[in-house]
Amino acid sequence: MSSKKQKILMIEEDYFLRKIYKNKLTSIGFEFIEATNGEEGLNKLISEKPDLVLLDLILPKKNGFDVLIEIRKNKELKNTLVIILSVLSQKSDIKRGLDFGAQEYLVKSEMSLSDVVDKVKYWAEKIKKKRT
Amino acid sequence: MGLKPKKTKIADVVPVVSHQLKTPILAIKWCLESLLAGDQGKISAGQKEYLSDALKNIEKIYCFIDNFFDVLKIETKNFEITVKPVALEKVIDKVLNELSDWIKANNCKVSFKKSEKLAKALADPFEIHRVVQRIIANAVIYRKGKGDIEITLKQEKGKVLFSCKDNGIGIPKKDFKKVFTKFYRSEEAIILDSSGAGLSLFISRTVIKLSNGKIWFKSKENKGTTFYFTLPIK
Repeated sequence: MSSKKQKILMIEEDYFLRKIYKNKLTSIGFEFIEATNGEEGLNKLISEKPDLVLLDLILPKKNGFDVLIEIRKNKELKNTLVIILSVLSQKSDIKRGLDFGAQEYLVKSEMSLSDVVDKVKYWAEKIKKKRT
Repeated sequence: MGLKPKKTKIADVVPVVSHQLKTPILAIKWCLESLLAGDQGKISAGQKEYLSDALKNIEKIYCFIDNFFDVLKIETKNFEITVKPVALEKVIDKVLNELSDWIKANNCKVSFKKSEKLAKALADPFEIHRVVQRIIANAVIYRKGKGDIEITLKQEKGKVLFSCKDNGIGIPKKDFKKVFTKFYRSEEAIILDSSGAGLSLFISRTVIKLSNGKIWFKSKENKGTTFYFTLPIK
């Protein structure tokens, strides 16, 4: 079994939210990389090849929906697991996010910190199983 | 110059303003949760109490902002629901489970009676959960002494009928017409709990109306109130 750490990319403008998840996810054994806007997020997706992306929607330079569309269009990235983590709770946004191919759409206000971490663990475990 | 600046509609700025307000609050909330979970080291009982108090208050602010933006969406006709078949009895069980510690701490007892066979109701699962939560929370908040709350769920004439009866402060007759209007709070309600904003029943009515249901109440001052709603079934 490989002991390589699974890599999570968080695309989130807010420094404090990134810091919270960085501390939490690295403490339970994930490698954590971050991007503060949509463009940087896509660049890191290409250069770092994360296992899973935590994607906010309201982002500078390129919004989260556009990032997701580009991920699904790109041959090398299209199978990346994407969890949307956004404050947008309108049903039309949720539908759009899932239609564009996100594995999950989490509304930030409905999630505790440990709820989000549990979701990350769940999907990370799924990826592991798929690979073995 | 004949150029006029383009008018920005309130509806256009709602997502951005809401995002700007909610993000720092979420950061505080998640920091507190992390501290409470002991991520930064063991905390004492006293620290735990204060951190929990801080968390409860942050959740209160968040809830108010959420309600406020819901009202803004309703007013600008941007409030949407997605109707699906929902097992309402499960929603009620879930709400009671989530609120159980708080209900006990507030000296209230809740019973829940349901008919044996219940069809699924047609509602928005997330929004109907919030409606049930708001109605039960109101019954607890506006109690008089020891709270006795009875919830029933039955099927009647092709609809499911929810009711929540309390023995609380009741609503004065002169205020009956205002109950579902926004920012309404009775004088007694303000004395009992100064922090409410009077938005939850206004939002609940909108949700029920958009689901093609009905919502109403019966009340007697100092005796109690019963809230009812119906929803169409699958």
